[in-house]
Order: sequence, then structure tokens, then C-alpha cells
Amino acid sequence: MAMEQNRGIGKYVGIWFGLICIAGIEVILTYRGFSTHALLAVLFVLAIIEAGIGLAYFMHLKYESGYLVWTLIPFVVFVLLMMNQIWPDAYRVASLRLLTQ
Amino acid sequence: MAGGLVSESHVAVGGHGAFMEPSPFGIQSKKLTMWLFIASDAITFGAVLFGYAYLRAGTPDWPTPFHFSPSIINGMVMTVVLLTSSLTMLGAVEAAKADNKSATLKWMGLTILLGIVFAVLHLREWFHMFGEGWSLFKNPEGGTVLFGASFFSITGLHLMHVISGVIALIVIAIGYNTDWLDKNHVETTGLYWHFVDLVWMFVFPLLYLMNATR
Repeated sequence: MAMEQNRGIGKYVGIWFGLICIAGIEVILTYRGFSTHALLAVLFVLAIIEAGIGLAYFMHLKYESGYLVWTLIPFVVFVLLMMNQIWPDAYRVASLRLLTQ
Repeated sequence: MAGGLVSESHVAVGGHGAFMEPSPFGIQSKKLTMWLFIASDAITFGAVLFGYAYLRAGTPDWPTPFHFSPSIINGMVMTVVLLTSSLTMLGAVEAAKADNKSATLKWMGLTILLGIVFAVLHLREWFHMFGEGWSLFKNPEGGTVLFGASFFSITGLHLMHVISGVIALIVIAIGYNTDWLDKNHVETTGLYWHFVDLVWMFVFPLLYLMNATR
């Protein structure tokens, strides 16, 4: 039983280590002199990769029914993309600041 | 059963579940409920993180107060602690599936402990920042106050999830130990805990690394 248990955890240790490595890469890239926009984009992409790995293996979505995956993921992504339409308004804050200076 | 009539003996043998359609998702309703909660919570975090990212990129005098030592190192340690807690939670789920109660409780105890360590490290970071004059509405450097507002609200929302998760894990561990709850409850709570971990995968780079003194 104990050996089965260790094997059960063992298959996730590689994923755990990989996620820590990606976090380490994020720290290294932070000090590589990227512009704010480029660093934001790079970190965002790496975070999405980490989340995808976590969803697939830690949360076992990879092993769940395709119905569940296709019910959850596209709708969450769709809602976030739709909300994304109003966020660029934040750039207006910068413009307003310049106008008042 | 003929003519739409259901015999009492059929109900007694099969239970009411015998007449219900199987889930198209092939999972229990409590697990599906947790997935739906996670989807809605992902949208909540996605909204605030997207909003923050646009503010961060669109504000020219955004402060970058996090020095490599101690803030970024502290953030890295917090990341390792939370990722490790996900691993121990997987241990609990695997042990519960194998009906090994003592191992399940041991792994859950470790997960709770790591969750508490994470919360303590987080609060220590917060109090360090309060000491430097940062707050929800204050910027000691004199620039935009949006940094404090977004940092404390987003990390606060995440910390609230961690503390809620620790409380949930304690309740589930007690319930599982007394046979009030079963292994499916352990698995469902594990889903929530992993989600909290995944959210941190966005919070750390976007709120710590993006605000590192470079």
C-alpha cells in the first residue's frame, strides 16, 4: 500500500518540479531588461502555461470527460475575452493624466 | 415498472438514484459543483488580474518597490510552499482513493500546515509594506496610489481564498476522520486547493515580479 502511495505521488513530483522551474525562469526573465509591456506579455504567457499544466495534471482535467472540459474551458475563456473589451479603458487614465498636467 | 409504476421494492433495492439519468460529465454532482465554482472564481480573478495588468501597463509613474531581497525571495519561497502544498494535497487524494485513512489525514495535515505557512509569510510581507507606509490608499513614494489599491486587494482576495481553503481542509479532515465525509469530499476540496495554487501562478509574476525594482 505504501509503495502504491509513493508511486501515486511520484508521478506528480516531476510536474511540481517543472512548475517551480517555470517560476524560476519568470524571476530570471524579470531581470533581463525587458520593457514593461514585453515583460508583462512574457510573464502572462508563462503563467498561462503553468495554469494549463496545473489544470491538466494536478486537477486531473486531462483525465476527465471531454464534455466537462468543453463545457468549462471555452466558456471561461470567452467571458474573460469579452470582459477584456472594457479593460483597455485603463489606458484612458494615462491620457487623462497627461491632459491635466 | 410497467405503465410508469415504480414498485416499492425497486426503490428499496436501487434507491432513488436508480431512476436518475447518469451525469453526462461522468462525475459526482459535488465535484461538478466545485468545477462550476472554480470556473466562476477563475472569471473573478481573471477580471481583476486583467484590470490590474492594463492599469500597470497604462500608468507611467507606477512604483516598483519590490527589491530582490527580501520581497522577491519571499515571493519565491511562498510559491514553493504553495506548490508543495498542492503536491501534499495530491498525496491526500491518492491515499483517500486507496482508502488509507491515516495516510490521507497525514497528507491533509501537511497541506494545512503549508497553507498556514503561506498565510504567515504573506502577512509578514504585508506588515513589512505597512511599515514602509504602503496601504490601500497610500503611496509613500508620492506617485499613483493604484499600486497599493491593486496589490492589497488582489493579494488580499487570494489570501482570503487560502485561509478559506485551510478552514475547509480542517473541516473535511475532521469529517473524513469521523466517517461523516468520504473520499469524494477530499478529492473535491483538493480541486479547490489546486485552484488557489493556480491563481498564485498568476499573482506572483504579475503583482510581485512586474513590480520588482530592476
